This record gives sequence, C-alpha cells and structure tokens, in this order.
Amino acid sequence: MYDAMTQPLASLRNIHKAYGSLTVLSGINLDMSPGERVVVIGPSGGGKSTLLRIMMGLEEITEGSIEFEGQPYITARNGKTRIDADVRKKVGMVFQHYTLFPHLSILNNLMLAAVKTRGMPRAEARDKAMQLLARLGLEAKAGAYPSHLSGGQKQRVAIARALMLDPRLMLFDEVTSALDPELVAEVEQVMLELAEQRLPMMIVTHDMWFARNIASRVIFCAGGVVVEDGPPEQVLGDPVNPRTREFIQRVFHIHG
Amino acid sequence: MKIDFSFLSKYHEALLMGLGTTLQLTVICFGLALVLGFVLALLRGSRIKPVAWAAMLYVEFFRGTPVLVQLFWIFYCLPIFLGTELSNFTSAVVCLSLYGGATMSESFRSGLKSIGREQYDAAHALGLTPWVRTVHVLLPQAVLRAVPVLLSNGVGLFKESALISAVGMAELMFIGSTISNRTARPVEVFTAIALIYFIVAFPLTRLVAVLERRILRRLAI
Repeated sequence: MYDAMTQPLASLRNIHKAYGSLTVLSGINLDMSPGERVVVIGPSGGGKSTLLRIMMGLEEITEGSIEFEGQPYITARNGKTRIDADVRKKVGMVFQHYTLFPHLSILNNLMLAAVKTRGMPRAEARDKAMQLLARLGLEAKAGAYPSHLSGGQKQRVAIARALMLDPRLMLFDEVTSALDPELVAEVEQVMLELAEQRLPMMIVTHDMWFARNIASRVIFCAGGVVVEDGPPEQVLGDPVNPRTREFIQRVFHIHG
Repeated sequence: MKIDFSFLSKYHEALLMGLGTTLQLTVICFGLALVLGFVLALLRGSRIKPVAWAAMLYVEFFRGTPVLVQLFWIFYCLPIFLGTELSNFTSAVVCLSLYGGATMSESFRSGLKSIGREQYDAAHALGLTPWVRTVHVLLPQAVLRAVPVLLSNGVGLFKESALISAVGMAELMFIGSTISNRTARPVEVFTAIALIYFIVAFPLTRLVAVLERRILRRLAI
C-alpha cells in the first residue's frame, strides 16, 4: 500500500537517456513528494522535455528506474525499457503543441479515453466531461471542433482531457510556449487553480514569472543532470551554483 | 461534311443502358478498391518486412503496367490457370478493383503519413490501446484527409472503365463504338460519348475541390 506521508510520489533513480551517441540525460535522481509542484527550468537541449516524456512513458531510457507511489513504473534492463501500463494510467500530460484530436468534438475529445479504454459508461463520462468543461469555462464549446477554438482554449481543453482520467501526477511540457502572449494567462490561471487544489505537477516552462508563482520546488537542469534543486526563492532568486546564476541572470535580463 | 446529332436520339436507350453499366461497374469497383486500398496501406506500414515488401510490390506492379494489359491478362490468361471461364463483367470487376486498390492504397498511405507525431503522443499519454488508437484516432483522420484524393481515384476508375469495351462488355464506350460502326458517323457519336463522360465526371471533380477545402479547414487544428 502506498503511504503518501512517508513515501515519495515519484522516485527517479539514475535516469540515463541517449539517442545513439547523443546523450540527453546522464543520471537524474529525483524524489518528488505528493504535495509538490516541481518546475523544471534550464537551457534548450538540457533534457527538460525528455525528462517529462520519459515520465509519461513516451521515451525509452538507457539506464535507471522510476517508481511511482511505491510501485515499479519504468525500468531499463539489458537495453530494454519496461513500462507498467497500469501505473502509467496515474500520470497525465499536456504538450506544447495542440494535441487535440481534430476529427472529434471537444466533448468527444474528453470522452474517448474514458469510454473506450477505461470502460466508463457513456452517460457518466459525459457528465464528468461537462463538469470539467464548466469548471474551465468551456461548456459552450462542448460541441465545437478544435479548429474553432483559440490556442488558449485548446490548451485548456487538453488539460481537461487529461483531468478526465483522474491523474495522480500531471506533466506540463511548455504548454504556453506556442501561444500568442495574450492567451498565456488563461492557461496559466487554470494551472494555478489546479495548484491550489494540490494536484501534484511537474512543469517545464520558460516563463520565470509563472515558475515563481506556481512552483513549490524548482529544478535547474543542464547538460543532462540536475544542477540545482531547491525552493523557488532560492533557485530563481539567489542561486548557489554559478551555472544556475548565469542562466537566471540571462533569462531575467531578456525578459526584463 | 455535315454535322448532325439528331440521329442519336434513336439510340438514347442504348446509350443510357451503356452509361448504366459503366456506373454500376464504377461503383462496385470503387467499393472493392477502397477496402483493398486501405488494407494494402496498412500492410505497407507493417513491421513484418516481407509483408510490407509484398504489398509494395503489388502496388508498384499494378501502377506500373497498363490497365489494358492487366485486363487482357485477367480475361484471357487467368481462366487458363483457374480452369474456368470468367465473364467479361467479372474480369472487368476483378481488373478495375485490383488496379483501383493499388492506386487508392497510395492515397490512404499519404493520409496516414500526414498525421503528426503529436497525435501518437496524445494517444499514448491517454493510454489508448492500439485498437482504439487505430480505429478512433488514426483511421478517421486518414480517411478524412484521403477523401478528396479517393474521390479523384473514383473519377479515374469511371474513365478507365472505357477500356473494358476491349473485352466486349456493353458499357458506354462499347455501345458508342457499335453505333459508330453501324451509322458510320464517328464524329457525332464519339463527341456525344465524350460529353456524356464529362457531364458525369465534371460535378464530381468540382465536389472534390469543395470537399478538399472543407476538410482541410476542419483538420487544421
């Protein structure tokens, strides 16, 4: 039995990832506790997105293992990655690019996985989907198709679609990077509300203002390793490591 | 030479019958070719190499040989191997379906290819099983994207069906040739035949253009 008081939610051990000769992650160790909202920052190509994709079971790993709620989730052995499909159901993810299914209405985008693979009765899935859409102010769009929505609305639907499956951990991979600036706030607002409800999250973002607002913990990832790990005030405000310091100064300089 | 189409009215029943046969043939072959084409497209993407290779060879063979040669082979040679006669209608259906399947598999394949990697990511992240992913996510998008090209393929089959006259099948082209032989008025007869083909095909090609725009608008997420 999983005990949230004593056991980490997710526990990453020595995660290595290489694409052929290109090493992306070289030994990530991380324990995340159930109440945490971890924001991962760092330079492009530093392995942030790869880390999230691995946690979603979308990428194989070269070495290492992940436990989730005390259960083995992902293990690499003899060059083969084993992913436990039942554990994976507890993780949800929202991507940078819109990944809604364009041939399905918003309502059906939300219902598909619940009905077809989780065996939820249609009526129940429909009620749940409508409640979620109402919560995100999108109930009027239930019958619309993704092509009729703004970028911000699409990302909110993508969040609702992931929430349909009651994830125990939500992964957000640069979900506002592709949005027009005026649409960023509506998506970040939804994420802040989820944070208030204490949904565990792991977030990759370039928006340092947002990182400071939502994070309970910030990880600076560069060169495939965790360079600095601590509370947002420290990592973003007064970083210890010179590489973190240089990155933070550069980012805040660019963003004013 | 005096051009006068009025004598054709005497043959309007025969011409209509020929058009009916042509349309019947087209619709049957279109349906069969759709199914064959989709299966071939899936087989070509198979991870089992010999299967993918065989499907590829099939498609390239039927696209790389003249339909008339295929038709003659099926009509004259296939019965020798089967040990039984094939009616000209059966030969025509077999030939146009096999040929149509090969061209349509290409349309389905490009439809499948145009589905971006992020759709697969989303399907995996939602834990969709391979069956649900194929049937509810990939197939409908591939078909939707392929609809305009598939309809064009259908119009292509409609036109190719004129070749069937070569094995004595009484479709539109065959009826036209017969009338022309009997009346010695090829100019009027073949002009009229061309117009009939065009009148049927033109709205269909326009429909293809309209559908193309609509579907693209829908699928542009």
